[in-house]
Amino acid sequence: MKKVILIVALTLINICLFAQERTGNIKAAILDSTNSSLGFSSVVLMSSIDDSIVKGKITDENGIIIFENIPIGNYSLSISYIGYEKENIDNVIVKVGETTTLDKIVMTEKPQTLDEVIVTATRTVRQLSSLPLPAQIVPKKDILRSNSIRLSDILNEQTGLITVPDFGGGEGIQLQGLDSQYTLILVDGVPLVGRSAGTLDISRITVGNIKQIEIVKGASSSLYGSEALGGVINIITETPKNGFKGNLNYRLGTFNTNDISTDINYKKNKIGINTFLNKYSSNGYDLTENDNLNTVEPFSNYTMNTKVTYDFSEYTALFISGRYYAQIQDYFTSEDLKGESAINEWNTHLKLSHKYNEKWNSYFEFYATRYKADEFLDNNDGTRFSDDFFNQFLIRPEIRTTFNPNKKNSFIGGIGFNHETLDRTDFTTKPEFNSPYAYLQYDANPTENLNIIVGGRFDGHNKYKSQFSPKGAIRYNLSKKMALKGSVGYGFKAPDFRQLYFDFTNATVGYTILGYNAVATAIPQLEAQGQIANLMVPISDFKGELNPETSVSINIGADYKLSAALKFNINVFRNNINGLIDTRIIANKTNGQNIFSYYNVNEVYTQGLEFNTVWKPNSQFKISGGYQLLFAKDKEAESAFKNEEVFARENPSTPSFQLVKDDYFGLYNRSRHMANIKVFYDIPKWDLDTNIRATYRSKYGLLDSNGNGYLDTYDNFVDGYAIVDFAINKTLYKNYQMSFGIDNLLDFTDSQNISNIPGRIIYGKLNIQF
Amino acid sequence: MKTMKTIQLVTLVTLFIGLASCSNDDDNTTPLLEVESQNVSNLYAPQEGGQGQPISGQFTKFDFETGQTTTSETDWDIAFRGTSIIVNGGVSLGTTDEPERTGNAAAYITNGTMASITEVNTASLVQDAATGYAIPSGSGNGWYLYDSQAFLITPIAGKILVFKTRNGNYAKVEILSYYKDAPSNPDTTVDESRYFTFNYVYQPNESVTAF
Repeated sequence: MKKVILIVALTLINICLFAQERTGNIKAAILDSTNSSLGFSSVVLMSSIDDSIVKGKITDENGIIIFENIPIGNYSLSISYIGYEKENIDNVIVKVGETTTLDKIVMTEKPQTLDEVIVTATRTVRQLSSLPLPAQIVPKKDILRSNSIRLSDILNEQTGLITVPDFGGGEGIQLQGLDSQYTLILVDGVPLVGRSAGTLDISRITVGNIKQIEIVKGASSSLYGSEALGGVINIITETPKNGFKGNLNYRLGTFNTNDISTDINYKKNKIGINTFLNKYSSNGYDLTENDNLNTVEPFSNYTMNTKVTYDFSEYTALFISGRYYAQIQDYFTSEDLKGESAINEWNTHLKLSHKYNEKWNSYFEFYATRYKADEFLDNNDGTRFSDDFFNQFLIRPEIRTTFNPNKKNSFIGGIGFNHETLDRTDFTTKPEFNSPYAYLQYDANPTENLNIIVGGRFDGHNKYKSQFSPKGAIRYNLSKKMALKGSVGYGFKAPDFRQLYFDFTNATVGYTILGYNAVATAIPQLEAQGQIANLMVPISDFKGELNPETSVSINIGADYKLSAALKFNINVFRNNINGLIDTRIIANKTNGQNIFSYYNVNEVYTQGLEFNTVWKPNSQFKISGGYQLLFAKDKEAESAFKNEEVFARENPSTPSFQLVKDDYFGLYNRSRHMANIKVFYDIPKWDLDTNIRATYRSKYGLLDSNGNGYLDTYDNFVDGYAIVDFAINKTLYKNYQMSFGIDNLLDFTDSQNISNIPGRIIYGKLNIQF
Repeated sequence: MKTMKTIQLVTLVTLFIGLASCSNDDDNTTPLLEVESQNVSNLYAPQEGGQGQPISGQFTKFDFETGQTTTSETDWDIAFRGTSIIVNGGVSLGTTDEPERTGNAAAYITNGTMASITEVNTASLVQDAATGYAIPSGSGNGWYLYDSQAFLITPIAGKILVFKTRNGNYAKVEILSYYKDAPSNPDTTVDESRYFTFNYVYQPNESVTAF
């Protein structure tokens, strides 16, 4: 027995002695992709023989790690750091008495697709995947890979969104079947103005410096007030990032369309600057050959955007942004009338944020913007035919505070003031809107699987009724794979300046349009001039106020994650709109024409279903598909069909017959079905990525062609169509990227009905990063 | 024999019932005239002036009884000039060349199809007046819509014009086209306007309000 103990003891001593003699060291430096040291990363040392863990350690603040007295042999290192891909280093040889040094172990950042965050839905940073509201993010990567130029390009590819050309040449967005005037467009959380006829032209916005586009569907007036009736689209632009970086981007395409932009970024310590410049020009295009006018006349525009951030301390930060946009375009209305239209717009945005402690944060924000549009027409002899101007100004101070008493509850509240003026041709006055507002929202997670948001906003106004807009939303995670969500919100849109103060008489045809508030003064004047033949609506009807258009929107949906690679999302929506503002004839003129004015009348609803799916079988492939079913109808029209009051003819000279309920198609410019499918494919081996994207829109009606006042199945419809886009991008020497693509591969056009689809566009793009 | 007698009896009874019911109906009245369904094509209704100028020119008069146009000063029911339709009843609006109303005709516009309007609503009948015609003029007010972009006059679907004639009979009219030969897709650059094509149903029996 003693013998045995002795042998064991000797062996142990022997091993120890042996080990002490035959060891070495490992030293390594861990860096991030910008070559800055990555302190406090965890490093695990493993034996290459059996992958057993030998030691685990954390790097010091300089990213240095030293393992001492390691038995000689072959090892591997595994380094991990939050937000970075795990890095494995094999074949680390330890020699007797030597220190094996690994100079640079560069860690790569994880792509942030897993936990996309959105600020628009709650005005706080929230994970998209945990939200109780229908929301969507378009990441920069998708914009870049699609080689989009303007906001309209990329939004048209999103489920349930479509841009609709306006008679003024702009493109407005339709969302959940609601018109462009009911969707609020924000840039970095503050609104764009300049809706001369209700539409905000989103082709005005370049995507060159966009970080991501956030889309929230359903009424959101509880946070944003007027206009957020159908939803909110928030364009988040790039903010200064550490280091000096820049890029130059140039795209040349069909119709001599040039898009050139540069983005220069600098940030060190406390100060950061980001400057973006873009020039976009085109010869325009012509879909109808037999007239002397182009569908889109030649234009060129510039966007400049500079941002400065300054971090006073860990707790206080300042953000200043200035944006300027200018466009000049030929403006021809006939062979004899030629002129030019110019748009000038600037925005300044100042934000001071301060963190009092872990629980309290405040933001002091100041925003001002001006949108000016001027156009003129000259006769052939050089004399001036017409001069029009539109000059809108908005100023908005706002203070908001967040309070997070604990991890489960958070509050956000704000107070602010809108001051808005408009100077415009054909206006009776230079109107001024003043509107103070306040909002509060409570976001709670009573249990791990339940999220509740309740909020409300009060908007006072000097020209129309004050509004209170509540909203509630709930999300419940049934399991790790499935979540249910529902929200109910109130939305409103204040009558715009035009609906109140317009006093416009068409010079060639002779009809007159009067704003609601202009009627009381303009009608007696016209009467005195003997222009009125017959007053159909008494002036006393215009004594009250024109009310805001309001809506209640309901969204109920589910998220289903079959696996990490395959996700589904479904949302059923209904928007009930009351007091829609429409025009009606209020008097006949002696010249045989009519006088129109605005009034609250229609009750309209849009309802439908949205379905989205994403499939990522591996890191190279991404296939996504989306579909929207939509019914958008006027309740009054519905009852007219039900009451057998609507008739139609097969063609203009055949006898009329009565229509039934099912013959009512709905509102103009709404397609029953819209769908998209996108395939993105990466080939890292060749530094190449390619994609093909298709969108489909089913038939829709633009006007009542059979004269019964309603869009019915016997009217002429615009045929359904599909647009297919293709792009291929190749990276050279890491910093150079060349792209080639064809938009509208099938060369679809409809010259009669669709002015904003120019046909096939072939382009090339070059991007240089420095 | 018994069968023969039964047949005779049945025949007699049948004849009796038949005759009795006939004589009941026909007591003191002459047989009703059949309702006439007709089509009128290319009734030309020219006018002068318009487009801001004073309108003038002779109206094209129409007589439901004959189903023809007429130049008679008195024996007409309705008359056309451009898009204006007047009746031979009431007073003149005062435009140039407007004929004098000599009868007691009246009219109204109702919603429906030729088949669905089966009864005249006599309370709705109005006559031409100094303030406006019984069939109102202007786009969307009466029987047509004017598309100011295509310069097209289109009869509104579901508008039936109901007339009381100068003699107290009734007629219903559906206007089908304002263009020559009633093209299915009129084009103002090709098709001549002011040619009325219409369907009408005339009740030749005086004071009968059903069609």
